[in-house]
Amino acid sequence: MARRFNNRIEQQAPAFFVRGPSAFARLAFFSALSLVLMVADSRLQYLTSVRQSLQTLLHPLQLLANTPSQLYRDAGEYFSAHDYLLKENRQLKQSVLKQDIELQKLNTLALENEHLRQLLQANKSMARSSVAAEIMHVGRDLFSRKVMINRGETHKINAGEAVVDAAGVIGQVTRTYPLSSEVTLITDKSLAIPIQIERNGLRAIAFGHGRDSTLDLPYLPANVDIKRGDRLVTSGIDGVYPTGLAVATVSQIVVTPDSPFARIVCIPTGGVENHRQVLVVSIPHLAELAESQSVTQQESKSTDTKSAVKILPVKVQKKPTAALSGNAGKRHAAE
Amino acid sequence: MRVNAMQPNKLQSIYLSIALAFICLLLPWSGFSLTVRPDFMLLVIIFWLIRAPNLCNVGTAWFVGLLVDLATGGIFGQYALAYTVTAFFSTSYQRRLVLYSEIQQLFYVGLLLIISQIILLIIKTFSGGQFIGWIYFLPSITGVLLWFLAVLFGLDIGARARDD
Repeated sequence: MARRFNNRIEQQAPAFFVRGPSAFARLAFFSALSLVLMVADSRLQYLTSVRQSLQTLLHPLQLLANTPSQLYRDAGEYFSAHDYLLKENRQLKQSVLKQDIELQKLNTLALENEHLRQLLQANKSMARSSVAAEIMHVGRDLFSRKVMINRGETHKINAGEAVVDAAGVIGQVTRTYPLSSEVTLITDKSLAIPIQIERNGLRAIAFGHGRDSTLDLPYLPANVDIKRGDRLVTSGIDGVYPTGLAVATVSQIVVTPDSPFARIVCIPTGGVENHRQVLVVSIPHLAELAESQSVTQQESKSTDTKSAVKILPVKVQKKPTAALSGNAGKRHAAE
Repeated sequence: MRVNAMQPNKLQSIYLSIALAFICLLLPWSGFSLTVRPDFMLLVIIFWLIRAPNLCNVGTAWFVGLLVDLATGGIFGQYALAYTVTAFFSTSYQRRLVLYSEIQQLFYVGLLLIISQIILLIIKTFSGGQFIGWIYFLPSITGVLLWFLAVLFGLDIGARARDD
């Protein structure tokens, strides 16, 4: 027993001397270092380029980690039943046919719209380019709602661009890396999206709820004209999201006597959590914007900075939509 | 003597295990699996901190925390801070810990995992996050279960102390 104990002392002894500075000293040093990093990242935004370059180094590892699930999916697709594919093919053909007809109508309407706008001498609406992307994985932080997509700076994706799927808006690009980018979903607490009620044109701003996959419409009075089942579409006045894309449907309106505001809960229309294929819609180039609209110099400058992208000036395209709802316009002016 | 002969090998196995844990972290977790995903990196670091404190220290934990920060894409340095503090607690009781029974060690590891989660929770709440409910602490429980499984399959934390 005693020999065993001595043995242990002997074995542990060398470890005593190689330890270097005390654990407490290390704790103090590295904690301070992490605090400095946190401040530099969150308050001063110094670490963007560092993060970008390190993320590029991680990209191959990420691809490696994605391989098993990708293989599994590919195998599943390969062995999926013949009739399923036939059925899908038939459905797709039908929807293409339907869309072709719609498209023909759209062409006529677009021409007509263009003509009417010329007559009214209103601003031209912008054509936007878009990039198809695929969701690589869901964000790993439980506190935020983000996804990573497989297109990045090399595919000309910029922070601030809108991300949509077939059913509606799903979010906004918030960070770009060379080969991938991070998309904050509309259900994230930090994302706000300017919307319009499709039925009456009332404008408001929808905020992500954060905890469950819903959106909130805060700061609307208790007697506001919103009903259950109302569709919210993008108003386009922020210059980020194209006008008229479906965002959410109102699912619940709670009016409490002790609050002057109604609590309005909406469910996103887009497959925020379940689609893989998405479309990144670019923001119209600032030069075009300045050319086609009489934007003052100051405003275009503020859109130029990357960080200000989330809160683009609301005034940019106000003229064409101002007529839609004088009532709501007043409220926004007050805000 | 045997310990010295094993050292170069051990350093490699530390790097290898950290790399493996990192790949586990990078797997495309989503939905419920994301909420129960154990903190692989922290488990590996705690293991090495207790088993080989001469090769792995608070600084290693900080570096590993930075890697996790990079992968999760949150504020840079939050995991680094949480891992640093957790590593400090695990090294300060390391010499006593190797004498404990495996069940006692299990409780201690659980405690360390919860400490790191609490630190992360504080940082995230300060930076505007919202507490998602008690399911937030599920990864600590799954982490302990994973540790238990590893012990069942013959992973020995006190190997150095008991190896005569």
